[in-house]
Amino acid sequence: MATNPGKLLQSSRRDFLKGTAAVATILIAPGIFLYKTGQAAAGLEREARWGMLIDTNALSEADVDACVSACQREHGWQTAEGSRTDAQWVRKLRLEEPETGHQKFLPMMCQHCESPPCVDVCPTGASFKRADGIVLVDRHTCIGCRYCMMACPYKARSFIHENLKDQLPVAPRGKGTVESCTMCVHRVDRDGADAVPACAEAVNRNDSKAILFGNLNDPQSEISRRLRELGGTRLRADMGLNPGVRYQGL
Amino acid sequence: MPMLKSKLRFAMLVCVLGLLPGAPGAAEQARSQFGNIAIPDPAKPLSADKCVEPVEIMRRDHMEFLLHQRDETVIDGERGSKYSLVGCMNCHNPAGADGKVVRYEDPQHFCAECHAYASVRIDCFECHADRGLLQSQQGRLDMHAPAWKASAAVPPTSTLQRRLGTVDGD
Ligand code: SF4
Ligand code: SF4
Repeated sequence: MATNPGKLLQSSRRDFLKGTAAVATILIAPGIFLYKTGQAAAGLEREARWGMLIDTNALSEADVDACVSACQREHGWQTAEGSRTDAQWVRKLRLEEPETGHQKFLPMMCQHCESPPCVDVCPTGASFKRADGIVLVDRHTCIGCRYCMMACPYKARSFIHENLKDQLPVAPRGKGTVESCTMCVHRVDRDGADAVPACAEAVNRNDSKAILFGNLNDPQSEISRRLRELGGTRLRADMGLNPGVRYQGL
Repeated sequence: MPMLKSKLRFAMLVCVLGLLPGAPGAAEQARSQFGNIAIPDPAKPLSADKCVEPVEIMRRDHMEFLLHQRDETVIDGERGSKYSLVGCMNCHNPAGADGKVVRYEDPQHFCAECHAYASVRIDCFECHADRGLLQSQQGRLDMHAPAWKASAAVPPTSTLQRRLGTVDGD
């Protein structure tokens, strides 16, 4: 045979390492592929990077409370009566300028970092980043060591200490595992770019988009446009984690 | 005729094990082997005319289907697979109109009946809902309703199905 599979493989591998063969199908021998592109199954959008833009100027304290309770309702993580522990997918932060007493409130959740330290430290690979940028805990493999909780600089994760009952079908969660904001991944998988996370749904009245969900990789998306025009802050940008959640008005 | 073959293979397996209900003689054999323990025969759901796979395949391989599907869902965002656990529960343990449901600790639960018999602990429901969608959740959570029900299109077949030769799934 004229083709030398080894050679083909090698050059493809080099291309792959260089990062240029971004989506090349690698042919080992006629009809045999080492790696094939194109998702056969439906599912997440591989080219997307989902993010949220949170306009703190448009959020009152009550709005942030509404975010938190909407998230609780959506995923069923309300702390049970009498429980001594506290699940926290999203929490309310208050910023106060000491001099003037001016206060600001913002919802703080997993920032869906591009380089997530929670993923780096996880010994089992349970903490992972999906192809579309959403950072999740795969509870099937989480052993509850809580390394990720310590590694997360945003304190975005919490641990389930108690036996649970009546979890919601969209949000399986159970004792001995770590959890955090999923960017309402079940909605994202259903609605793609049109998805509205529960927290956004709770505060976006009329046409206001106090919390805007969208694709950071798509320059035409509303979130990219707003970031281009008005800018947005990455919390603790100095850490270089490049969060997918951005804030305005800070 | 892949189906016929797999049925034959299954029939042979049943004869060898002499364990599973439904096969001729299986019940008597099991009784004589294990004394008077009744072999579970969980109630079939009324809401659908057939399962996602033939009963004998499901008895043997449901855990493999679920294992394969869970990774597709968590990692690749593949929802509405025909092996969705929510799909199972929607048919096999639907919530009553009054919101009352059978819990998995209850021996009447569809999964619990056989699992108790086989002494295999079910871990699924420590995290997952052990019942079908409640009325109030239907529509809102319909992304979890098995897509195979709504459309005639054959859902993507899994490697396991191909291995078993049950791609036609009937
Ligand atoms: S905010 Fe924390 S939990 Fe979320 S991706 Fe970043 S490091 Fe991980
Ligand atoms: S607690 Fe779970 S997700 Fe976090 S680092 Fe440990 S195994 Fe990974």
